[in-house]
Amino acid sequence: MIRNLTWHIKGVLLLACCLFLALPAGAMDSPEALTIDTLADLYQGVEFDHQMHVDLAQDCSACHHHTTGTGTIDLYCARCHDSMEEQATVACQDCHLADPFSAAAIQAKGETNHFHVDIYGLKGAYHRNCMGCHEQMDGPTGCQDCHARTEAGDAFYHSGKFAPLAAGATHEEH
Amino acid sequence: MKYLEQEGIRPLNAAVKKNGKQWNLMEKLFLGLTLEQYVSQFIRNKFNWLLGIIFAIGIPLIIYRFIFGLGAVTHGSYDYPWGLFLGFGLFCMVPLSASGFMLGTTVELFGRHDFEPIERLALLNGLLGYLFAVVYLLVDLGQPWRLGYPMFYSFGPAAVLFLVGWHVATYLSVQVAEVSTSFFEWIGWPRAKQFVRKGAIGLTVSGIILSTLHQGALGALFVYAPGKIHPLWYSAPFQWLHFFVSSIPGGLCMVIVVSTVVIKTMSWRCDERFKDNLDKLTLGLAKGASMGLITYLVIKFIAVAHENEWVYLTTGWGAWWLLEIFLGVLVPLFLFAYGIHNKQVGLVRVAAFFTVAGIVLNRLNTALITFNWKLYQEVPHVFEVIISITIFAIYIATYRFILNRLPILYAWKAQPVEVTVTETVDEKTPIEADQELVGA
Amino acid sequence: MSKLSRRRFLAGSLAGCAAVMAAPAKNALASGNLAGFPDGMGVLVDLTRCVGCRSCEAACNKEQQLPAPDQPFDDYSVFDQTFHHGTQKRRPTEKAYTVVNRYESKLSDKPIYRKIQCNHCNEPACLTSCFVGAYTKTKEGAVIYNSKVCVGCRNCMIACPFHVPAYSYSSATDPVVKKCIFCYDTRVKHGKPPACVEICPSQALVFGKRAELLKIARERIERHPGKYQDEIYGEKEVGGTSWLYLSGVPFEDVGFDTSLQKEPIINNVKDFLATVPMVLAIWPALFTGFHLLSTKGKKHGEEDQHAEKHEGGEQ
Repeated sequence: MIRNLTWHIKGVLLLACCLFLALPAGAMDSPEALTIDTLADLYQGVEFDHQMHVDLAQDCSACHHHTTGTGTIDLYCARCHDSMEEQATVACQDCHLADPFSAAAIQAKGETNHFHVDIYGLKGAYHRNCMGCHEQMDGPTGCQDCHARTEAGDAFYHSGKFAPLAAGATHEEH
Repeated sequence: MKYLEQEGIRPLNAAVKKNGKQWNLMEKLFLGLTLEQYVSQFIRNKFNWLLGIIFAIGIPLIIYRFIFGLGAVTHGSYDYPWGLFLGFGLFCMVPLSASGFMLGTTVELFGRHDFEPIERLALLNGLLGYLFAVVYLLVDLGQPWRLGYPMFYSFGPAAVLFLVGWHVATYLSVQVAEVSTSFFEWIGWPRAKQFVRKGAIGLTVSGIILSTLHQGALGALFVYAPGKIHPLWYSAPFQWLHFFVSSIPGGLCMVIVVSTVVIKTMSWRCDERFKDNLDKLTLGLAKGASMGLITYLVIKFIAVAHENEWVYLTTGWGAWWLLEIFLGVLVPLFLFAYGIHNKQVGLVRVAAFFTVAGIVLNRLNTALITFNWKLYQEVPHVFEVIISITIFAIYIATYRFILNRLPILYAWKAQPVEVTVTETVDEKTPIEADQELVGA
Repeated sequence: MSKLSRRRFLAGSLAGCAAVMAAPAKNALASGNLAGFPDGMGVLVDLTRCVGCRSCEAACNKEQQLPAPDQPFDDYSVFDQTFHHGTQKRRPTEKAYTVVNRYESKLSDKPIYRKIQCNHCNEPACLTSCFVGAYTKTKEGAVIYNSKVCVGCRNCMIACPFHVPAYSYSSATDPVVKKCIFCYDTRVKHGKPPACVEICPSQALVFGKRAELLKIARERIERHPGKYQDEIYGEKEVGGTSWLYLSGVPFEDVGFDTSLQKEPIINNVKDFLATVPMVLAIWPALFTGFHLLSTKGKKHGEEDQHAEKHEGGEQ
């Protein structure tokens, strides 16, 4: 009998050890780091430290709204989405269109749910979502703080080596 | 010319010479003087020296403007697109050239043939004023070679400027026709003159229609910019009336001013009919101008009352407006009233100068000085000033050229008239002289 | 007057009047009840979102193939530039169809940025003042310009209540108006958003149907009470513009002209333009009447063709 009890205790202890793994609610398979480069062109992709943000935010819905089954912090959206379960995907680009002003997207707006008509496009979503916290918590707010410019970007902004010349000076290429 | 007169030499005023031969065109151009006489009197005239200096500086600048563009000679900017070329050359010269339709109407329509001696001068004043307004416009337009576009290529009929363009073009033709009678007399084409005279009433009526509309339209142009012109100079419903009504004393007083200049500087060219009647006619013109001025005064105040702008009169701009009204309307009104009542032609002439200055000030205020009154003030470029003066000098030179030759200030005769003390009975009357010319 | 002279007189008057009537009749535009352009597009500019990055200026420069700027587009010292003794900030020029300016307001601890460009009015003053019809309001809402017919009168610059059109005074052979054309030829005509909207990282600019944008703007105001001024600039100004603005601080604080009339500019000239055909129609009879009334039986002048002497019909 004592031999059976020991096995049960080990089993419970084993289970107990596993419990702490379940504690971070909705942690799922959250990546440590990722590169956000869906729209990369004038700027390089963002090397995003996801784990750091997980630790800072504590609440997934701070960035992922209501897709992680953890409720939502936006009172406006909470009316419908507070008790939503986890979605199959929490990636931004699945709800925020990369091209929000295409003819098709504008056409679709006419048929869209009234409450979703003013959703950000992907670029706007990235920036608006991040900047709010960054401004409050002294995070990076400059353009190149998060993503360095490419050469195409330098040309676009007439900056760096493409900067307008001072009178008389010359430089190579172009 | 005074020197030549002392010598007994007279400029030609008739179709044939004393010896019965016809003058030819070259001789007519040189006023019947020999080349030597003409050149020496030309050089003696100090005014020509002044003109020479102005042309020496100004004409190269005009060429410079066309090579290097408007940006090189004006302070034309995105906020201040219009400068002196339009502000003075167009907006000031057009109301002062209203004399054409005023005197045309007076003589042809209302039958006041007592104004005939001065009618041709008024018509010429109108024609040259409009012609040179177009010259100023050509200097101001970004692409003057496209001036004809709104006439036949691309229409924007809802625009007030479209109306202005069409009317000025049509009215110029009317005025050319009206002045052409003197030209045909001078050149010796009597049938052409007859042909034009047949349509005199029609031309005059067209002239009134066109003038009413485009004088008003120039005012309506500013109604496109309600916030940009100071409220005291702006009135959405009445702007066109202000411009139209002020053109009446403007045109009449310009005739007084020009006739004053003419009688003082070139009285040798004026015949007895002109000289004898001028004072009386000046008083008559002054009566018309006074009525125009008092009406203008009233409608200006009506506009202020209509928009309840009285409080603006207490500001700096208000003081400026009151000064414009004082100098341009009140002073002339008093001078006219006194001068007409006491038959003092000198006072009346002074009043006319004040009126002309007042019109110029009003148009410059509306187009330039109070324009963008909420923004920084803009000052014309010195080159712009010089070019404006130069074009005005060309206008004066052209004016003088025509007055010297065409029968504007004098009546054209079939035979030269000898003005001696004894001769009165045998002198042919002008109508009979014309009849001989025509062969009726 | 003899019958013969009267005929000539009438012929002359009619000839004169015909010359006047030949001028094209003015179309009195019925703009009092314009239903608007139902499919017209617009842009909603939310000034609480603009961060002053100037990417829109760079995008416009590239899309419209404008000359290289004097400073790089990421040079933010331009916000300190002033002109005319400090009375003006930057404005659109012949080389820059859009600019962003920075403003300070007591009601905001952050600076506010405003993008300035042609507002593509529903009833553009530039269009109505152009006597060669160089401007067109397309059905997509863009107000575009045809430099091939422009004579350079610059009346559009006088008329525009927003002081938008710039002019290339520097050119002697082909000076033309320069302004934002809503990227019509390259984008909007094909249903794509203008370059500035596409590049904006903070979605301060939203492109869509003007009617929809007004709804979105009202929704934003309602949804965030206190965040926005309860007004959409451009909804009614000078008859309504395609570019609409939302602001967190009073519009005067960020350089908008709030004294503009709500009616289209053309309304100011409509009454005068309507007078034109009336004068054309009434003056001939009126003044011919004056002539007949005032000259009957009067002595005729020297020049007069129907002087009493010729009553016998010698002419």
